[in-house]
Amino acid sequence: MTPRRLLVALAIVIVAVGLGWAMMTALARILRNTETAPVAAPASQTTPDAVPAVPRIKATLFFASEDGRGLLTAEHEIPLAVGTVAQARALVEAQLAATPPAPLVSAIPAGTSLRGLYVSERNEAFVDLDGAVRDKHPGGSMNELLTVFAIVNAITTNLPDVQSVQLLIEGREVDTLAGHVDLRRPLRKNESLITP
Amino acid sequence: MTRRISSLVQSGRWARVDPCAAARRRLPLVPARNRGRYHGCALRRATVALLFALIVLVSGSAPPSAAQAPQSSLRILSREGARALATISLNNQEYVALDDVATTFGLTLVEDRLAGGVTATAGARTIIITPDQPVVSVAGRLVSLTAAPVRQGNRWLLPLDFLQRALGPALDTRMELRRAARLLVVGDVRVPRVTARVDANAGGTTVTVDTTPATPARVTLEGGRVQVVFDADALDFSSPAMPPQDFLQALQQGDTPTSLRLVPGSKFGMHRATTTQPDASSSRLVIDMLPAGTESPAAPVPAPAVPAAPADPLPPSLPLPAAGVRTIVIDAGHGGDELGARGPGGTLEKDVTLAVARRLRTMIEVRLGLRVFLTRDDDRTISLDERSAYANSQKADVFISLHANAAIRPAMKGAEVYYLSIDRADAEARRMAESTGTVLPSLGGGTRSVDLILWEIAQARYLEQSSALAGMVEQSLRARVAMSPRPVQQAPFRVLVGANMPAVLVEIGYLSNAEQEQALGSGAYQDQVTQGLFDALVQFRARIERSQP
Repeated sequence: MTPRRLLVALAIVIVAVGLGWAMMTALARILRNTETAPVAAPASQTTPDAVPAVPRIKATLFFASEDGRGLLTAEHEIPLAVGTVAQARALVEAQLAATPPAPLVSAIPAGTSLRGLYVSERNEAFVDLDGAVRDKHPGGSMNELLTVFAIVNAITTNLPDVQSVQLLIEGREVDTLAGHVDLRRPLRKNESLITP
Repeated sequence: MTRRISSLVQSGRWARVDPCAAARRRLPLVPARNRGRYHGCALRRATVALLFALIVLVSGSAPPSAAQAPQSSLRILSREGARALATISLNNQEYVALDDVATTFGLTLVEDRLAGGVTATAGARTIIITPDQPVVSVAGRLVSLTAAPVRQGNRWLLPLDFLQRALGPALDTRMELRRAARLLVVGDVRVPRVTARVDANAGGTTVTVDTTPATPARVTLEGGRVQVVFDADALDFSSPAMPPQDFLQALQQGDTPTSLRLVPGSKFGMHRATTTQPDASSSRLVIDMLPAGTESPAAPVPAPAVPAAPADPLPPSLPLPAAGVRTIVIDAGHGGDELGARGPGGTLEKDVTLAVARRLRTMIEVRLGLRVFLTRDDDRTISLDERSAYANSQKADVFISLHANAAIRPAMKGAEVYYLSIDRADAEARRMAESTGTVLPSLGGGTRSVDLILWEIAQARYLEQSSALAGMVEQSLRARVAMSPRPVQQAPFRVLVGANMPAVLVEIGYLSNAEQEQALGSGAYQDQVTQGLFDALVQFRARIERSQP
């Protein structure tokens, strides 16, 4: 092979590699744009720290109404998870941390975190919260009802497979959260607290 | 566990405590098991102990043992008069010395050194006592004691219940040990238990005196003091703790052993006394200490005395207890460590609920003559189970739990009434519970049917009545105080679940609202709530009576 032919072959290889790289990059850009485009706008409103690569779904969360007499719903983007337990966990984490749209307020004491979540064969979810939910609770039966049923209603509304929810604190069954609502058994969705 | 504790330490809820430093500061909270880990501290303690032992040896006398020192005495009341019997505390158990008992009651003691026991002879009967056995033999019958007799040197120590369980039968005499009052009642002397409660209202002070068993009493006004004289030999009475008040300065033992004295306060002008009999075993005297010139349709003249009427202790003007509602249990929400809600001004839910509970009790007792019990009459922690269990044990016909609410929004205010909400599964259990009784084998063969009530769903049987009661409470309260926009609601409240009677939980206002907080702490608002609840109870009683054949 003459040096001239060698140069031509090298040039062809370089051009081919360059074309291949350009095509791959363009394809990746196109694919990424199609995934992120639908959620880009709401994510910037509610969850600024969202990871773009994780698919997200809309969930109904519950917050105390402006007058504090009941619960109101608000749509939030939460990460899509595989399986009821993982999805319930993502849902409760969102319910605990979500900033409600004004003028609604969170019914759950700030700083409350989820320790664990389990779903029994009888479709009862067990939500294990840390002690902050009790220690930072302001008391009063109305506040207590709103705290408990914000979580219970969020799970039973978004995950129809789950029939009832029992709250645990620091891994243990408790009588009540602040001296009123019976937490010894799983609770069903409470429609009467939802403000129309 | 280690991770948990360390996280608590980090979060500041637990703090590390140097036991030696704590000991220096006289902190009593250092766990004993931790002290030994600090060798320096242990060494110091050992040195102190050695020095102390040296001093004791040099002084030539044994250190006085606090455990063996006579701490107090028992008051013996009999036809012969009052005597004292020394008692000795040992390992959290109270004992009497057998030789003291023998001297007081004329027993003859014979010690059996071979068997290691002692025989006490009372007349023709003997009591055989053996050491380390919590059982004695009384005239051949075995009687158990709460603790085994203890031999200390030449002395025999016997637990206090020996007097009632063994000595009484041996002497063929009734002996009643009243530990709380530190009394031993011997023979047929009449020593009624007298308990008094003082409720201060804006317009006067009410003193409620309960006597068990029912005992006639006279109320007289002598030298500006109200005296209550009982027809008894002595009284088992301890003065209730109370600060001096405008209408009542003090409530104390009277001049004689069978009288009480009410020392009037500065605003006292007249008194009014009524006698009732809440049940067959007790009598009740209610004395109102009032300002001068108080008019009362029931007792227009400030009667200085209400003559005792043993045959018929109920005045004809007072209604007899209703057939349907005889007993009411009022639950003052929270208490003790459980503060409940706290208002912006610092008013605590537990204090407000207790104040209203006491007012309501007085009003029901005085006006209806029903038995009323409070789940707590002071600032103490009680579990939610204990509250409904107490109502069940008193066979209450109505249970009212009083609370004050708190909301996220300070603007929220108004009273609310709740009754229990139950799930579908509970409703099924309720039907099962109502359908059949449970058949149990009975002693001596055969079976018997019993009405077993599942504790968890006791309230389920009364939902309809509780709903009616809630409606009545709402209507009565609405006439007197502001109501929330959702005045009657159902909720899974724990305190209502186990109540085996119509039961409601009343949130009498919102402490989180500054205006309502002020009202909730005031006597005027509490009176309005009390009157509203009282009116509802009167209505509910009438409904129950109508529904009964």
